[in-house]
Amino acid sequence: MSDRPTLTLDDEVIAFSPGQTLYEVATAEERDVPTLCYDPRLEPFGSCRLCVVEVEGIRNPVASCTMRAEPGMVVRTATESIEKYRKTLVEMVVSENREVTVDPLRGYASQELSNLVDRYDAGAGRFRGAQSGVSFEEDGNPFIHRDYDLCISCNRCVRVCAEQEGDYAISIKGRGFGTQITTEFDGELRDSSCTFCGQCVQTCPTGALADRKAMRAVDLPGEVEETRSVCPYCGVGCSVDLLSKDDKLVGIRPAMDGPANEGALCVKGQFAFDFVQHVDRLKQPLVRSADGDLVETDWDTALDRAAEGFRSVLARHGRHAVYGVASGRTPSEANYIMQKFIRVGFGSNYIDNCSRA
Amino acid sequence: MGTAEGWLFSGYSVTNEDIIALWSDQLAPLLPILHAIHDRDGELSDAALRDVAKGLGHPLADLYGTVTFYHHFSRAPRSNRSPRVCTGPVCRSHGADEILVSLDGAVAMPCPGRCDDPVPVLIEDRVEIHRDSHVTTPPSALPAPNPAGHEECVFRHIREPARASLEGYRSHDGYEGLNRALQMGADAIRDCITASGLVGRGGAGFPTGAKWTAVAEADRSPKTIVCNADEGEPGCFQDRTIMDYDPHAVIEGVLIAALATGAQRAIIYLRYEYPNTYRILENAIREAEGAGLIGVDALGPGNPCYVHLRRGAGAYICGEETSLLNSLEGKHPYPRNRPPYPVTNGFEDLPTAVNNVETLAVVPKILVHGADWYQGLGRSDFAGTKVISVSGDVSRPGNYEVPLGFGLLELLENWAGGAPDGRSIQAVTMAGLSGGFLAGEDLNVTLDEPSIRAKGGFLGAGGIMVFDDRRHMVEVARDAMHFFAEESCGKCFPCRVGTQRLHERLEGTQGPREAASWHEEVRDLAAVMKATSACGLGQAAPLIVESCVKYFPEDIDAHVRAGGNQNV
Repeated sequence: MSDRPTLTLDDEVIAFSPGQTLYEVATAEERDVPTLCYDPRLEPFGSCRLCVVEVEGIRNPVASCTMRAEPGMVVRTATESIEKYRKTLVEMVVSENREVTVDPLRGYASQELSNLVDRYDAGAGRFRGAQSGVSFEEDGNPFIHRDYDLCISCNRCVRVCAEQEGDYAISIKGRGFGTQITTEFDGELRDSSCTFCGQCVQTCPTGALADRKAMRAVDLPGEVEETRSVCPYCGVGCSVDLLSKDDKLVGIRPAMDGPANEGALCVKGQFAFDFVQHVDRLKQPLVRSADGDLVETDWDTALDRAAEGFRSVLARHGRHAVYGVASGRTPSEANYIMQKFIRVGFGSNYIDNCSRA
Repeated sequence: MGTAEGWLFSGYSVTNEDIIALWSDQLAPLLPILHAIHDRDGELSDAALRDVAKGLGHPLADLYGTVTFYHHFSRAPRSNRSPRVCTGPVCRSHGADEILVSLDGAVAMPCPGRCDDPVPVLIEDRVEIHRDSHVTTPPSALPAPNPAGHEECVFRHIREPARASLEGYRSHDGYEGLNRALQMGADAIRDCITASGLVGRGGAGFPTGAKWTAVAEADRSPKTIVCNADEGEPGCFQDRTIMDYDPHAVIEGVLIAALATGAQRAIIYLRYEYPNTYRILENAIREAEGAGLIGVDALGPGNPCYVHLRRGAGAYICGEETSLLNSLEGKHPYPRNRPPYPVTNGFEDLPTAVNNVETLAVVPKILVHGADWYQGLGRSDFAGTKVISVSGDVSRPGNYEVPLGFGLLELLENWAGGAPDGRSIQAVTMAGLSGGFLAGEDLNVTLDEPSIRAKGGFLGAGGIMVFDDRRHMVEVARDAMHFFAEESCGKCFPCRVGTQRLHERLEGTQGPREAASWHEEVRDLAAVMKATSACGLGQAAPLIVESCVKYFPEDIDAHVRAGGNQNV
């Protein structure tokens, strides 16, 4: 502690770690510095200017998200003039959009702008004028709603696509107020290099990019409940928050604090959950009856039938007639058990994993 | 170095792959590749962009977005053939709107820097001047002889015949500064430039010696000199004149800067709208290469320096040094967050000195005549001279090199001939457009930063547009704000939304019709833009509306009362 450099934050001497930005220092000290273009997973961008703070000796306020803390700095995070600028900035942002209040089912960060409007009482309708952004509702993909009438050009979607996903599917075109989020040649997402991971949706602070599947449930009765779970698709073990209404699964969100994924998901984990409540979903084991029909049974019976089948194969064809392929969806421990099962149980080294394919 | 044009003349049909192969190993390859294809096709088609993305390993969506950022990359077939007409403030008072209507398929373009010779029309790679129904293609105007006989620095030899050729340049001190520099060594050069008091002439006014020292002391390499020739500020055209008539002065300045900083490569980033200047610079670089001034032993035996010429594609923001660097690197030309500054993290994230054309053109003269000589050219405590571009409602528009601290009215009335007969000067702009207006008593200033800043503006790159008593100043302010709104890069919120809202309020189409609320909104927008915008564009843009309110309050109030289409 004593070796760490210090600066003065709102009249308090604070230690910080070299390399931290002023925003990181202020947030660690529980200052509620507002932002719209900030996502802690991304390189600081410095576009919304809401996080500006005063630094003694620097004429203009500085964006705290891009400014590195230096020893001896004297920083003020919420002076009267800084708060006035922030209110004006939020009012300006509100003025360019069709609406501010959006359903939280649109995405993880979708309430950021409306929360700031409440915090700064910035809904007065000042700075009226043209609206920016043109929605692309006709993009026929089933996952991502592109409602750019609500876009504030913070570039979080473009940056998460490039920096986190490496997909570079979307970009910014034009200049100034005509800035527009787009794909190559203004096409639909499915014709771009988009993988539909939904990361752009979850980082959007206004709901301009929205989860089309979750939005199907906007008008369903009931409150949205969140349940922490683990994605069942592969062995990575991404943490997810399941969104449900009245015990019905309506959407999935990546858990920003998930130790394996830190907010990331892929298209399957993000959007492919319809099987959970699908009418065709198997909820009981099935075995074939003597006349070949599948009939419901209990697990003991089903497993006995499977064991019986393996035994008869071994008896008739020998141990090399058995070949095990472990699922890529299983964790390491289950893979270990699987190879034991094949090697010890059958005496065969014919064991593989589908992830090798 | 081969060029696509050379191949074209040989009858061979140049493919995209040829062009990409020609440039991809060179410094800053994206812009030259796009220009070569654009010049060949008159457009950048989807197929061409796919080839370029593939050839350079550049994400296609990002390339597409970046191409759309620039004014002059055409995406519609053959659309670079359509005339582009300047609708800047001076050209509008010289019939630009009528020319725009009269020319088939014409589109408006922001100021291309011919305010001394309105109205310029850009067609393909050609600048035509349309005036009083005549069409000409004149070269840049030579600066008029200094009317008061003041000693000049930048224009010292510019009027000599054939000055643009190596031979002509050498006949009057040409490359003598570089010779001195080679004898002095890097430390002594920087000391000399520091002692001269030279500060950047592009507008920011940072001491040149200090900038070079920071680059020299930065420990990573290769280092780069970037000459900022993206003269995009409306009303500023001094760099064009310098480059057209004295291109070797700029090259010599570049080489001395390289010697002083330890750079071995240099890039001149020239604005798209100066096609003639491009050819002149290209020729001068070729001559200097032929004479060994540029190349493997440029800065002494075994000490190379290579000079590359790159062309912008039409974007005011690319005159901002970090946008310019991003543009060179093929990135979306947003300004970068600072710190770090280009002196440590510039071109390709390596130490870089970005210097303006006029600054570099001054350097050789300082080395020949000494720091004291240059320092002494200014009035009172101000060091040196500044080339001022004067345009609009004056009898003799053009470039004038004045001692810093010179009287504004003396320049306007005595040198530039004052307002046309029977007219009087109502207002002038400072720093092109970004310094806002000066009018009335405040015209009685001297041309130096402290004097002009005391009135709320700044001298900047030294462009002055003059408006006589016929002009409607709210309309001029509206057009100026339209320019800033068009040119805002769109990255930071205060500038992107603020320039748009201020333009709407000056246009009268949106915003309160009641004076107190109108002024309150405009004041709040201006305050937040000045304090929180990420670069100089957004910080300076409000000066136009603030100074219009200050000098023409009755006009503003009449404008607010008249209102426009209200959405309320």
